[in-house]
Amino acid sequence: MNKSQKFFVGLGDKTIAFFTNVYDMTYLLLQTIKALPRLWFYRRQLIEQIYIFSVKTLPIAAIIAVFIGLGATVQGTYQSSDLLSRAITVNVIFKSTILELCPIVLSLVLAGKLGASLAAEIGSMKISEQIEALETLSLDPVGFLVMPRVVAGLLMLPVITIFANFLAMFSSFFVSAVISEWISPQEFYSGLEMDFKTFEMYFGNLIKPAVYGLMIALVGSHFGLQTSGGARGVGESSTKAVVISAILIVIWDYYLGRLLL
Amino acid sequence: MPVLKGIDLDIHDNETLVILGPSGQGKTVFIKTLVRLIHPDSGSICYDGEELLTLSHKQLYRFNDRIAFVFQNSALLDFLSVQDNLQLYLLMHKAISPRDLQRRTLEALHFVGLDDDVLDKFPEELSGGMRKRVAIARAMVKRPQYLFYDEPTTGLDQTNAEKISELIKMLKKEISATSIIVTHDIKLMRDVADRVALLKDGLISFVGDRDEVSEQMLDFLYE
Ligand SMILES: Nc1ncnc2c1ncn2[C@@H]1O[C@H](COP(=O)(O)OP(=O)(O)OP(=O)(O)O)[C@@H](O)[C@H]1O
Ligand SMILES: [Mg+2]
Repeated sequence: MNKSQKFFVGLGDKTIAFFTNVYDMTYLLLQTIKALPRLWFYRRQLIEQIYIFSVKTLPIAAIIAVFIGLGATVQGTYQSSDLLSRAITVNVIFKSTILELCPIVLSLVLAGKLGASLAAEIGSMKISEQIEALETLSLDPVGFLVMPRVVAGLLMLPVITIFANFLAMFSSFFVSAVISEWISPQEFYSGLEMDFKTFEMYFGNLIKPAVYGLMIALVGSHFGLQTSGGARGVGESSTKAVVISAILIVIWDYYLGRLLL
Repeated sequence: MPVLKGIDLDIHDNETLVILGPSGQGKTVFIKTLVRLIHPDSGSICYDGEELLTLSHKQLYRFNDRIAFVFQNSALLDFLSVQDNLQLYLLMHKAISPRDLQRRTLEALHFVGLDDDVLDKFPEELSGGMRKRVAIARAMVKRPQYLFYDEPTTGLDQTNAEKISELIKMLKKEISATSIIVTHDIKLMRDVADRVALLKDGLISFVGDRDEVSEQMLDFLYE
């Protein structure tokens, strides 16, 4: 093969791999939906995953949220206090933090934490024949492993995000009104209330992280189940899971944002 | 490239059939095909006249009730304790009282020569030999009609390997299951087999009683 042929063969392989992954992930999602009626049957697994997706991620979510709140406030007040009234500055900080900054940073970090560990966990089960063992025990790997994780991600990421949003706002309040007395608590509060778009504030805040949670779990499970070739394969799967879910999250963030406006 | 080519093999009720072959000849592929963990490109696999390959997903899971598989890597679920590994199948699929469940678990555990204190341990805390025993206990708890073993003695030292082959014989008597074993371990074959099939290059070159297996055949197999 000469150089140009090699290039096109490589390009073709990549394209095929891409669409195969899209197809497989869609198929996995459909299988997961098909497994939903068996949720009660797999309740133990679901409870365990809900625990992992919530309680175990709270500390990291809390740290991130507090510092997002602090950072956004310090920057926001410094950059725009000469341009805007203080209440409006607070309003801008508030909205950009809880609608964009907090959900997306949190989801990206959790894509790293949960997505990687999920892909590695399922991947190492795959290479050590545990997935096949499940089959011989008449337990559907999708129902037993994937579905509980997807449901937990779907339900718990919104919860964590709301929790994080509260913390971020609290830390923002703390730094601007309590420590520095840059703004009075009343003014801060009126800043929050300004032009409050109820639908976006409530639903946007629930729908986006729910989609990200589903995506993290689905992408992680997909690459976990595709794992082959020993410990190295497990490492590759978890890297792929993190990279792909991070890319999907930022892309969806834009489109969901537009859709939900 | 095909791994297995034109294998034609009958398995009799209640026998222990050992499929002997060197490493990398498709033994694992073969035994997994027998329970449809791997779907062959063509061919037919019948249990009591019923075709396995055309069963629906649901029917396959019902068929799984009749089999138990001891994997080459033991394949215990590493996020579950030994107790949960042993009980998982019964808990998920059978209406069984907690007392019966406990009784059957302990019975299997003691049968494979392990003490109650391993129940709370996780697979990673056990030695390879112990894991293999737990895997056999997990198979026993199911009370299957067919028992499949993939290289049950590989990776174990002499003493442990002997204990495992002893267990295989005892378990066969205990639950009178048909046992199918793939291995490259000649000693295991001599210990447990009723009948032997020799697998090389994806073909079965010989099937017959254990005593018919001659040294020349083995030399040829492992040359
Ligand atoms: N699911 C599969 N489908 C098709 N071919 C496979 C599959 N899994 C493994 N193979 C190939 O089949 C060949 C035989 O592998 P197999 O694991 O069955 O050998 P083995 O006899 O069990 O060896 P060992 O003694 O090392 O366990 C290998 O070349 C392997 O790449
Ligand atoms: Mg093998």
